[in-house]
Amino acid sequence: MLKRNAFLLGTAITASLLLTACGGGQDRQVIQNKGSDTLVNVAQAWAEAYQKVDPATVVAVSGGGSGTGIAALINGTVDIANASRAMKDKEIKLARDGGHDPIEHIVGYDALAVYLHADNPLTDISIEQLAQIYGDGGTFLKWTDLGVEVPGCKDQEIVVISRQNNSGTFAYFRKTILGKGDFRLGTRDMHGSKDVVDLVENTACAIGYSGLAYATDHLKLACISQQTGGECTSPSVATASDRSYPIARPLFMYTSGEPTGYVGEYLNWIKSNEGQCIILKKGYAPATDVSCD
Amino acid sequence: MFEATRINHKNLSRQNMFRLLLGGMTALLILPVILVLGTLIYKGAPVISFEFLFANPTNGMTAGGIFPALLGTILLVIVALLASVPLGVAAAIYLSEYAPDNWFTRAINIAIINLAGVPSIVHALFGLGAFVIFFRFGTSILAASLTLAIMTLPVVIVATRESLQAVPMAFREACWNMGATRWQTIRRIVLPNAVTGILTGVILEVSRTAGETAPIMFTGAVFFLPFLPQGVFDQTMALSLHLFVVSTQVPEMPEAVPYGVALVLIALVLLMNSVSIALRMYLRGKKKW
Repeated sequence: MLKRNAFLLGTAITASLLLTACGGGQDRQVIQNKGSDTLVNVAQAWAEAYQKVDPATVVAVSGGGSGTGIAALINGTVDIANASRAMKDKEIKLARDGGHDPIEHIVGYDALAVYLHADNPLTDISIEQLAQIYGDGGTFLKWTDLGVEVPGCKDQEIVVISRQNNSGTFAYFRKTILGKGDFRLGTRDMHGSKDVVDLVENTACAIGYSGLAYATDHLKLACISQQTGGECTSPSVATASDRSYPIARPLFMYTSGEPTGYVGEYLNWIKSNEGQCIILKKGYAPATDVSCD
Repeated sequence: MFEATRINHKNLSRQNMFRLLLGGMTALLILPVILVLGTLIYKGAPVISFEFLFANPTNGMTAGGIFPALLGTILLVIVALLASVPLGVAAAIYLSEYAPDNWFTRAINIAIINLAGVPSIVHALFGLGAFVIFFRFGTSILAASLTLAIMTLPVVIVATRESLQAVPMAFREACWNMGATRWQTIRRIVLPNAVTGILTGVILEVSRTAGETAPIMFTGAVFFLPFLPQGVFDQTMALSLHLFVVSTQVPEMPEAVPYGVALVLIALVLLMNSVSIALRMYLRGKKKW
């Protein structure tokens, strides 16, 4: 009998909790926007600016990585997934099996810069050389292997900085530089583009990669060539736009099905002159020709 | 007349040596706390202002304040406490006062210990699967808080059970001999004497709940939300996630901002804790044994 009373008390508490939980009005439309850490700043800037365009629509932005966003699209927990790489066939199939048909929207381009310490005398680097530095079985372990001596770098050993494996930046860099190959063991995998840049800034021996938007005045951006000794191209918004920079990638937003209603309006605004000027201001190349003040 | 022999001297100097050594170790423990707090205050205090605490962020999070994140963390902690304290205390009372010592109770105990050892990211994925998707709460304060509640449940259960067991058996026996039922004994004698220990568990839970990032990342917290949450089915910004994103993802973030956010987070936890500490001291003063 007493045990039953205690049980009833517990049930009553739980029930009252659930009841109080069911409040809260919903008079605005919320767009769930999640994914790529590369895009998170632009996505946030878009969301912030869109408040003035349509106050009735609010955009909730979170990062976590392209993989996180795509997984959320597959689970149906987001309206728009941000990704700095294209969805894989396997992921598209998974999404379709769950009743979500992913539609791809290119919202901009990003030049992936190869970052060097400001004191590093190296100015240009080729895709082949990068593969030797980053690849499993690569032979470049010291800066002297590239014919330079970095002041302040003990033993000239290259400190190889990479990203965590659910990052779209990681996936794109791997595909473009290493093809089907794998990264070498012992890379420092950072959990954010800004972390990579911060570490390279403070480490003479370091080499790292991240979106151009994260560049600061305190480090060096390598000029990239296809073959060693070939003509190199520096990363910039212009060279990313005309695709002459060899490691520029499209930035994607994915929706489940062709976007309609307020989600469609938001995406149209992102692709419009106003939206594209925001991405340009954030250091990325716009997807279309724009004129901004 | 006592005369110290060589052995006495040796023992005495050894005693002094160990006292110094152990004391030094204890002092070392305080060092990290002082260093962490010192760094946070030194680097973070300059950005703390009324605006920083009570304004919305502007200009790509680099200006304005952190009010939505501050409020969000408070809401997450409160809802998590509402869920886990009644559940945890009820379970602990049952386990300590009613449950017979059989294989089933032992299995529950083992489950609780294991639950405490589950990494927070696993709780996060469980919360995503259970609350966000299966129960259709969506990514919301409710889903995030319930995930946090489940994560901290073992803390509450273990603390409560230990404080219940610290109440001398003689108190219960005396009570039963007067003809009181088990529930009357618990309600009038055991719980009032155990409440300080239960509050200790709650304090531990508050600190952990407010600081966790992983469990809320997939279940309810977002980096940017242009409105304040209106109910438990809304999403929210949170200090811990905000700190993580502004320190790893946002270029051109003024260096003082992440330190300021960290300082606010720690101050908030200390403030919430000091309320329960004060309550605990008040209740302990009323204790009659």
